[in-house]
Amino acid sequence: MADVRLEDLSKHYKRGSEIIRALDGVTLDIGKGEFVAVVGRSGSGKTTMLDLIGLLLRPTAGRLLIDDVDTGKLNDRDRAHMRALKVGFVFQEYNLLPTLNVLENVMLPLRYAKKGSDGRAHALELLERVDLTDRIKHRPSELSGGQQQRVAIARSMINKPSLILLDEPTGAVDTETAEQLVMLLKRLNKEDQVTIIVVTHDLDVASQTSRNIRLKDGKVLADEPAGAVPAA
Amino acid sequence: MEILRNIWRRKLRSVLTISGITIGVLALTTMGALSENFNALLNGGVTYFGSNVQVGPPDGQSASLLAISKIDEIKQVQGVAAAFPGYNFSAKPGQVTVVSFGIPDEIVAGDPQENNWAALKTTTAQGHQLDANSTGEVVLGSTIDKEFNKKIGDTIDLPVRPPDAKPDFVNHTFTVVGILNPTRTAPDTFAYITIADGQMLLKDSLPLAIRNQIDVSQITESIQVYGKPGSSISDLDAIADRINAQVDGVKATRPSVLVNSFRSGGAIFTAITTAAALLALIIGGLSVVNTMFMAVAERIREIGLKKAVGATTLDVMREFLIEATLIGVIGGLIGYGIGAAITIIANATTPPGQSTLFLLDLPLTVFAIGFATLLGAVAGIMPAWRAARLDPVTALRNE
Repeated sequence: MADVRLEDLSKHYKRGSEIIRALDGVTLDIGKGEFVAVVGRSGSGKTTMLDLIGLLLRPTAGRLLIDDVDTGKLNDRDRAHMRALKVGFVFQEYNLLPTLNVLENVMLPLRYAKKGSDGRAHALELLERVDLTDRIKHRPSELSGGQQQRVAIARSMINKPSLILLDEPTGAVDTETAEQLVMLLKRLNKEDQVTIIVVTHDLDVASQTSRNIRLKDGKVLADEPAGAVPAA
Repeated sequence: MEILRNIWRRKLRSVLTISGITIGVLALTTMGALSENFNALLNGGVTYFGSNVQVGPPDGQSASLLAISKIDEIKQVQGVAAAFPGYNFSAKPGQVTVVSFGIPDEIVAGDPQENNWAALKTTTAQGHQLDANSTGEVVLGSTIDKEFNKKIGDTIDLPVRPPDAKPDFVNHTFTVVGILNPTRTAPDTFAYITIADGQMLLKDSLPLAIRNQIDVSQITESIQVYGKPGSSISDLDAIADRINAQVDGVKATRPSVLVNSFRSGGAIFTAITTAAALLALIIGGLSVVNTMFMAVAERIREIGLKKAVGATTLDVMREFLIEATLIGVIGGLIGYGIGAAITIIANATTPPGQSTLFLLDLPLTVFAIGFATLLGAVAGIMPAWRAARLDPVTALRNE
């Protein structure tokens, strides 16, 4: 489980002479085992916040602490190592490697975690949990969108991370599949006590988490228990 | 495995790229084998002429004839340990010389003892070396033996009678007493006879008008001079200088002049053949660069994903470098395999008596495959660096 703390965190971009404040002085504390939804309109800073927490971006100002480690002090190599060991990613477009089969895709992060174990048994166990044991030799192109997203979720869990970050995980699937994915995430959150932060436009998804953080123009507009956030 | 699948993802493009390397390595292998063969031939000359001093007639003398008494005078020169007379004749007189990578067939007459002094020693595969006192016996080099298909005890008429020989053409029957092991250089096309028989052939070669007025037993065509064992080329050069200073009527050639001549000839040939092949290979290498840049452009999202799940800059770079190197290795192995097959088949189908054209040895094998591998790796550096430096956020959302 991860404790994530954002202290006056900002990310600014320059576009010509204009400064874009994608995230502007956000302070948040996300506790271990929480299931948090980050909502807001396009351009509100949701994805930027996710990228910062996932150590894919460096902040312009402020501090980001994961398990009390000040990530601003880490070099690129250590940040990559922390990503491999502590963070799992799930993207809207799944981002599975087309040349690898389902099992190989799930095992991909093991290569970079350099933990020394082959992790095959764990990968098979995860595929069983996402109900894909009969698809382990299939290529991504042979799977439906929902199945591909379940593979991506299994991949995000392979290194037993304490934090899973999901960027619009239901954006490319139908409603029924989206519901199944959310149920799966809730189960993983409960069974593994893993902290989950999901960026979503889908308020149905947001309503099933424990906490909703609403962003607007790079700032926190609301931070309330799920169900309290009004429709955009 | 993933890397092989990535290479195979774009089959046509990969095949074309690998073909570029294949053609380059094929050229390098065949041209290199040609060059190695030529160099082996020249190295024989370097070894032989680097171990003695060649003494012939002085500049301006038309006939290559020396008084055999010069040998005793030369033996008095400081540093000279041994000196032997020598006679050379064309084994196939009248044959039209064409451009060849081999040495023409020759009859070489000398003292069998010289073999103990020469750096380029010959050994018998069958039979035995000549007895200095024998006559009518011949030891054949491996190539000339194959050409005439002789076994120990067979006879051979030397020089070989040309089809259009004049009525007064003379040759003699020799019994084959030894067949030499291959040396890949001059001795392979030589027929060795004793001094007495050499003097007999010398007499046959003289114009009729003077043939009976010259005592050929007092004549030699050349003298090979040896220093004490272990003498360096500079020692032998010094001996050549002393011979020229102290012995009249002869011209000793510095061995360094001959050796340098052989070496420069080999170096030029090697430079031309290798440069042509390397040029082909480098063009192949450029196609690897192009392919890898395209692979990076196509797989930007994959690179972003790998970085997101923990790949470091070095991890990404390593994966693309391995892929480019593998293209080099595959192209290198296929090109070498085809090249090796061509050289083996060409050598195997060389008519008996002709020198083979190719020498495929271990250094060339290592160089051909190693260079292709290195080329693949070097060609992959820039694309791999570009891939490794990609910003993961931009890469992940690349359309």
